[in-house]
Amino acid sequence: MRKKWSVGRIFDTGITYLILIVVAFVFFLPCLWLILASFSKSGTIYSFDGFFPKEYSLASFQKLFTDTALYNYPKWFMNTLFVATASCILGTFLVILTAYTMSRFEFKARKPMMKTTMVLGMFPSFMGMTAVYLLMTQFNLINHLWGLILIYAAGAPMGYLTQKGFFDTIPKAIDEAARIDGATNFQVFTKINLPLSKPIIVYTALTSFTWPWSDFILPKLLLKEKDLYTVAVGLMSLDETEFARFAAGSVFIAVPIVVLYFFLVKDMVNGMAQGAVKG
Amino acid sequence: MTRRRIAFAMAMALCVGALSGCGDTVETAENNEGTEQKAESGQVSMGSSVFNGELEKNVTIQVLENDTAISKGYFEELIQAFNEAYAEYGITAVDANMDQYLDLANDGPYGYGPDVLYQANDIIMQYATGKHIYPLPIEQLECYDSIPQTAWDAYKTEVDGTAYYCGVPVNVQAPMLYYRTDLLPDDWETTWDNDGDKVPDMVENWNDMYAFSNSRHEADNSKYGYMKSLYDVYFSSGFLFSYGGYVFGSNNTDPSDIGFSKGEAEKGAWVLQQLAGAMNEECIDDTITSNAYSKLADGTYFATISTPDVYSTFIDELKVQYENEGMNAVQAEETAKKNLVMTTLPQLPASGDLTEEQPELIDSKTMGGVNGYAVSAYTKYPNACLAFINFATSYDMMVTRSEMLGIAPAREDAAATAGGTSELLYKELETGNIILMPSLQEVSQIWTPGQTFFTDLAKDAFRSENEKKYKDLPSMKAGLEEVDQQIYDAIFTLK
Amino acid sequence: MCYGRPVKGIMLFLAQVSILIYFITRGWRDIQGFFTLGTTKGDAWLGIEGDNSVVMLLMGIFAWIILAVFIALYRVNLKDVYQMQKRKEQGKRLLTFKEEAAQFLDKKFYMTVLVLPVIGVCIFNILPILFMILIAFTNYGGAVVPPELVDWVGFENFKKLVTLSQFAPTFFKILGWNLVWAVISTALNYFAGLGLALLLEKECVKGKAFWRAFPVLAYAIPGFITLMAFKFMFSYGGPVNQMIVANGGTAIGFLDLDAKWSARLIGLLVNCWISVPSIMLLATGNLANRDMSLYEAARIDGASRWKQFEKLTMPFMLFSTMPVLLGQFTGNFNNFGIFYFLRGGLYLDDYFLASDTDLLINWLYNLSIDNNYYCIGAAISLVIFLITSVISLAVYIKSPSYREEDTFQ
Repeated sequence: MRKKWSVGRIFDTGITYLILIVVAFVFFLPCLWLILASFSKSGTIYSFDGFFPKEYSLASFQKLFTDTALYNYPKWFMNTLFVATASCILGTFLVILTAYTMSRFEFKARKPMMKTTMVLGMFPSFMGMTAVYLLMTQFNLINHLWGLILIYAAGAPMGYLTQKGFFDTIPKAIDEAARIDGATNFQVFTKINLPLSKPIIVYTALTSFTWPWSDFILPKLLLKEKDLYTVAVGLMSLDETEFARFAAGSVFIAVPIVVLYFFLVKDMVNGMAQGAVKG
Repeated sequence: MTRRRIAFAMAMALCVGALSGCGDTVETAENNEGTEQKAESGQVSMGSSVFNGELEKNVTIQVLENDTAISKGYFEELIQAFNEAYAEYGITAVDANMDQYLDLANDGPYGYGPDVLYQANDIIMQYATGKHIYPLPIEQLECYDSIPQTAWDAYKTEVDGTAYYCGVPVNVQAPMLYYRTDLLPDDWETTWDNDGDKVPDMVENWNDMYAFSNSRHEADNSKYGYMKSLYDVYFSSGFLFSYGGYVFGSNNTDPSDIGFSKGEAEKGAWVLQQLAGAMNEECIDDTITSNAYSKLADGTYFATISTPDVYSTFIDELKVQYENEGMNAVQAEETAKKNLVMTTLPQLPASGDLTEEQPELIDSKTMGGVNGYAVSAYTKYPNACLAFINFATSYDMMVTRSEMLGIAPAREDAAATAGGTSELLYKELETGNIILMPSLQEVSQIWTPGQTFFTDLAKDAFRSENEKKYKDLPSMKAGLEEVDQQIYDAIFTLK
Repeated sequence: MCYGRPVKGIMLFLAQVSILIYFITRGWRDIQGFFTLGTTKGDAWLGIEGDNSVVMLLMGIFAWIILAVFIALYRVNLKDVYQMQKRKEQGKRLLTFKEEAAQFLDKKFYMTVLVLPVIGVCIFNILPILFMILIAFTNYGGAVVPPELVDWVGFENFKKLVTLSQFAPTFFKILGWNLVWAVISTALNYFAGLGLALLLEKECVKGKAFWRAFPVLAYAIPGFITLMAFKFMFSYGGPVNQMIVANGGTAIGFLDLDAKWSARLIGLLVNCWISVPSIMLLATGNLANRDMSLYEAARIDGASRWKQFEKLTMPFMLFSTMPVLLGQFTGNFNNFGIFYFLRGGLYLDDYFLASDTDLLINWLYNLSIDNNYYCIGAAISLVIFLITSVISLAVYIKSPSYREEDTFQ
């Protein structure tokens, strides 16, 4: 196909953009509505003129960050940030290592382990919550943010199959060449495979950051003191008349993830496509 | 609406709901020491030895209050006053800083609960079943004589033939009618006061409320009279009770006898359906529950039903509205307090027909509760806790509470001082028009079936004539029987 | 240990001794507790500190796991000694401790790496699951919660399930819908996500990061908030109905009790809205790994776009995302939140304590958790679990991502 502005090409581009605009619209509209609601002056969703609030103000955001006597949003936010960052780092580290190992090494327990994790992932997880709670009371980790991080990080390797799927597509030939040159397995991993896996690392980091960020079941279970709440639990405890504050809190909760995305987006597609190595 | 929140909070905790019991970390040993001491209270045997009257010195007790009390500043005032009064013993009360719907049975055994807690009677009594709270020597309390026996009975439990009281009533919760006097027609004294008692007829009986709702909506299509989300079992079940329905048999103690369809309860369902006809579709889901505050304030609705503890929220909304209309803050607040009236529910027609001209009237019954304090069985300082409760239920504190939060105190003297609604509600409790929420665990099964039926009933008012499911009283009766059956199934199928 | 490897010997020895100490101090009691599930009933009023059956069960399982580790260590030790002996007999040089340690960064790299994840998964995933499975064989739940003592009841709960005839019609009705739901929503999410990723890969699209940001924004808002927002949007007083009413229509109950199919459809679409962004991100990452020379060749051979998609892109994506697809399937099969938030709190006619949008997991919740019948809940979920796991395991083992892991290498 030549790079020429043929009719078909223009048509194709037009359709593509049309779809993109529709998609953007579909995803953005509900978010926009939430954003507008958070800027609504009246603080209730029922004084809207159709889609838009009647009057705008920053009062909800101001209240969100200054009125902390009962709902300490800044504190919740910092707690969440801490939990999400720590479990993101630990979780990503563990998942990537696990996935890489399962993709690259041959050992007896490998296939049984793959099958086992596949099956374990199918268990209705909320049934196990009772046990997790009991366990944490026994370890004295209730009311500790670290307890939460521990569970998120420890649970992360369960989802390694996704990452393994990615590693399976990286040619083994490179590894073997490196090994012939005398590199240890550890070096092969850090020097060769890791740089190639940026997209999947970014994906993993993003998901393992988002998960604690939006989960409320575990924090609700393990954190009893209001000052230790994460944003999700805190928002749930808001009184029903506090809608604008709820909306403001929900909007602000999305900020770090969007920022993180823009930071990482470059690495996401910078995988092998641009790399020179092909098996 | 508090019911919904609790159900929700419980769902959040998902399956840990019934995790409970006696962990090995909790110190209950010190209770043993006192077994031989004779308690000074009239309560002999179980638990009495715990409250030996010797205040623990230099201790901090954690108190769980509800969010409204905290946000309105009452709780702050209470603990400050208490800490001052008990400074000589070194007893300090602090905010437990936990979720107001916390489940003591779940957290207490492992040492993560508060020492003193304020919750609804049905919740507290579920703790009593598992002995997660202590029976209290209530005769020792200063408030004992001022609180009616009916309120105390909400906290009564019998173990091996002995009666125990596990909580101290603080305030009575029951559905109340909220309406705005400035939305009444100007000439209401001549047109809407047939009995000439200077109280508008539409807040005295449902027939006039129905007529007024219709006329208000006809006059202005965007305006309504009485509005309420009907799915809410807590509010709607009162209509069934007024005509002979009940929750559980034998005075709410026998879960095998479910009585939503008993008596002439179908007449109550009919009343609800007629009322739905005077509203719009929003009564089918929870829309009105959440928009009532602002819609009452902007004059779209004339009246609604809610519990007394949200009085201050209604006032706040109305105040904002008046300020927007140009009043200054002080003026707006005064006007709001003058115009917003909270009163007991209107009377019902004995026939269930809201269009009847000269109906024979009967009292409205409502499902209600008594909120109160209890002492966790996992506390190390029971006597200090008791002292706190004694202080918090004193006449002065109760009057302050009622002033700041608009609640109806369970104390007779405080209710009389607070006057108005508190006194009315207090009388309702005494006459038995407030039916207390059953204190059984099984009560958690009534909500979904009830909610489904009331939703269906409300929806029926908006179905076309040939699609209607509930056209007459027998069909409503059948619908209610279905509710009873579902509740029975939910409780007993897996038992 | 007598082959002059003192450090290694001491390490193994210490590990075994510490486990023994654990068993003497509490492990033994825990194992006993596993069988008795407690003998003294607690009573706070009398100041009796009783046994907590569920904690005993949990710690009992924990003790069993430790015991298994102990036996495994012991076997490793024996094997190690045996191998050293063999090496010696063959006249080979014994590896020094340093060399053996170095192996853990090389030949046995996988062991070093997997130790932490395996421990974590054992404690926080396997232990709770075992606990749950064992609960199905006790009478835990209803009135029997601590301080009451729980007992083992064998297969009682399963017998109850078989004999309850009311269950059967509802079970099959819900199972049917659940399968339809899982298949449709998985396919919908997967292909929409993949399609979106492919669309954004097109050369003609400028500002990819910008376009991709919209789904990411949706992804950044926690799921439960999204669900609550959507529920409100489709409620009678929500913006959708407000617009309908403002334009002279009558309000529509999108999610109310008569709205079987519109509620199901909204559920599917909302679920799509929530899941597509993450699939798109993953697919984007994976697509970056394609071998573009194949496409070049295909183009030269004159293959159409569709052919390229069918023959090159699809097999590649299916291969690298098969586990995700399966994960999506089970995730959707057990999607508790979606209908709980969108349309919870209804029991409809012809269903036994369930509504027509409920999935098995919602029904399970109604029946057991809401009622506190944990043992029955555990039994039902064990049955569901067996069904789903057999299906997905079969699919997984047949899939190329399991059988031919090196297809694309």
